[in-house]
Amino acid sequence: MKFKLKIWQLISALWLLIILLQFNRLIELAVLWIKYFLLCFNDFGVAISLLDFKLLDSLLALIFFIVIPLLLISYRRRIKFLNYKLNFSNGVIIILLITFLMAPIITSENPDFQKNLSVTKHLTPLSKVKVLHLKIEDNYESTLLNKFLIYKREIIREVFDESIIYADSMGEMAPDKIIYYQKNIMKELPVEKLIENNGIPLITTKTFLLGTDEFGRNIFTRLVYSLRISLLVGTGAVLISFLLGITMGFIAGYKGGLIDTVFNRFAELFLAFPVIYLVVLILALFSSSLIAVVIILGISGWMSLFKIVRGEVASLKQKDYIQTAKLLGIKTNRILFKEILPVIIAPVIVNLIFQFSNVILAESALSYLGLGAGDSYPSWGAMIQSGQEYITKAWWMIIFPGGCLVVTLFTANYFGRRINKFFNPRLDK
Amino acid sequence: MNNKFSKAVIKRLISSLITLFLLISLLFILIRISPGNPTQKFISPELSPEIAKKVAEDFNLNDPLPEQYVSFVTNLIRGDLGISYNYRMPVIFVVWEFLSFTLVIAAISFLVQIIASYYLAVYSVQKQNKTTDRLISNLSLIFYSTPSFVIGVILIYLFAVQIDLFPTSGFVSLDYDSLNFFEKILDKIHHLILPLITLSITGIALFYRYLRDNLEDIYQQTFIMQLRANGLNENTILRKHVIPNAIGPLISVAGIELGILLSGTLITEVIFSLPGMGRLTIDSILTRDYPLIIGCTFAAGLLMILTNFFADLLKLKIDKRLLRGNVI
Repeated sequence: MKFKLKIWQLISALWLLIILLQFNRLIELAVLWIKYFLLCFNDFGVAISLLDFKLLDSLLALIFFIVIPLLLISYRRRIKFLNYKLNFSNGVIIILLITFLMAPIITSENPDFQKNLSVTKHLTPLSKVKVLHLKIEDNYESTLLNKFLIYKREIIREVFDESIIYADSMGEMAPDKIIYYQKNIMKELPVEKLIENNGIPLITTKTFLLGTDEFGRNIFTRLVYSLRISLLVGTGAVLISFLLGITMGFIAGYKGGLIDTVFNRFAELFLAFPVIYLVVLILALFSSSLIAVVIILGISGWMSLFKIVRGEVASLKQKDYIQTAKLLGIKTNRILFKEILPVIIAPVIVNLIFQFSNVILAESALSYLGLGAGDSYPSWGAMIQSGQEYITKAWWMIIFPGGCLVVTLFTANYFGRRINKFFNPRLDK
Repeated sequence: MNNKFSKAVIKRLISSLITLFLLISLLFILIRISPGNPTQKFISPELSPEIAKKVAEDFNLNDPLPEQYVSFVTNLIRGDLGISYNYRMPVIFVVWEFLSFTLVIAAISFLVQIIASYYLAVYSVQKQNKTTDRLISNLSLIFYSTPSFVIGVILIYLFAVQIDLFPTSGFVSLDYDSLNFFEKILDKIHHLILPLITLSITGIALFYRYLRDNLEDIYQQTFIMQLRANGLNENTILRKHVIPNAIGPLISVAGIELGILLSGTLITEVIFSLPGMGRLTIDSILTRDYPLIIGCTFAAGLLMILTNFFADLLKLKIDKRLLRGNVI
């Protein structure tokens, strides 16, 4: 192929795709922003108290959507990676990051949303259902606050939504009532209960791109949100491993002696242990929550980093320039951060990338075993586990989360190998 | 030489014992700092108060902490791990019963991994940089990064649900008792094929990558060129000179791989609901059977320490350089 794609081309294509597919969503979020902005001027205290994670998330997603391209365009000469050749791992990393940052734009649903189970249970990918939009009776005063709250309820979907009904198909039109079918059961509804659009009752069609699970939840939405959980757990745990490994490695390598022996022995102990048993034991003894999973996976992954840092520091310590720095009276902290860290950063980064993929793997395995963050968050492992129960009739419940997991882990491993080759050109034969 | 060897063995034995001691201490600390009363972790809530009191005295749970620690250590060393709530048997018997299955399946899988990866690596290094080599290499990276439970579930979907070739779960068929001896063995093999593939595929990919990289490394070295210049044929070079040099570093990888294997059996046993220690652990956690949880963790740790010890001995036996240096 003569024409090589560049990274910036992928990014702009993705942006165009989002604008084309989710234009309505963008407009809705913009209106939400304006309303919130007005509310802030009107009553700042109330506005702040309304600011929960989901609202902040939706608001930030729009900002990311606007600011990131502006930044990239204005600094396009400085940011070199924009002109890199596009390959599989680069592309996946960019798609994952964009999905991570802009989940509320990409999907407008709540990952736990379920409604009319008889219609939505185990829908195949690309299946369509009819959506009946009901009027919400609101007797509230029409203040700015209430208007904002009503609009927010429409934009940021909750787990329950009284204002819509899913139906398999519509019956014949009658002048005063709507007839619809849910699993061959005929139901009817007075016309005046529905929102009217130009005199016609508002009935739309909804497509479930990747089907639904056993509770009628949208698998696509759940995949998007569990990507966030996986990446968050990965980043958090890697950060903890990094801090632990670096500090302990520095201390052990720099001080030597008894501390070195003790730390080394601990590392051997953790290495000599099938980590999953340890993690499982700790999760069983303590409660298992998302934070607990992050901390435990972080703690159980510091050994390899410790070994690398300790070895490098112990050998660097003997070098002349470190000895000179010491004799000059430079403080130990400064020596460590200014002289030693830059030298050892390459193997550390490579190790952290592999660690990242290990943590994502471990998190999904834990949630597959039913020991992860629980049902409070969607997770790829848990989705596969629930899919296994319905393996005879719902293949899409396994294939899509499994595919996401494999692609993510493969990308992390592949990227780690490439970085490794970049830092150690000798390996690239 | 012999003296040196036994010295090195004793050194490793002591270091293994220290690790074991640290493991026991870690378990004790974890049990003590976890929320809830430690008595409830040894005494089933269903026991009557009198018996509970007696068990508490047996385990010295009312004594001050240091004495509890001592009795915890001595109990573990004697193999007294308490009584499982679910099985109403001493934990050590329960663990032993389930451990044997895990050991057998892990050993078979280990053999499969070594043999398959060996032949794959040798084959692909012979076909260096051809399409088949690239294909195997890329596939190995994909399989290496695929979680075993995804492989397992997909295998079940393909071979048990779509084409009804293998059973989805379990270790024996329902009519197992009516079969004769050979049919019994066949039945077990029939049930174990999918779990074995699931368990082995990650390990095959890992071993393959290491072995292939090693083989390629050795092919780059100058002595191979010299051998070629001397007119040896490629087959002899490969068998007599390349492979013996490449096998050595693999043993330390095998030590690490055993840890992965043990974690792998845990997940594989859950996927295929096989009666092994992994599923025992998960079941005991889900039913809060604390003595059994501690027993399983201890057994897994002990197993790892033992296998690492033997892997070290094997390394010593093969690589005599280790005896000279002060390398642990």
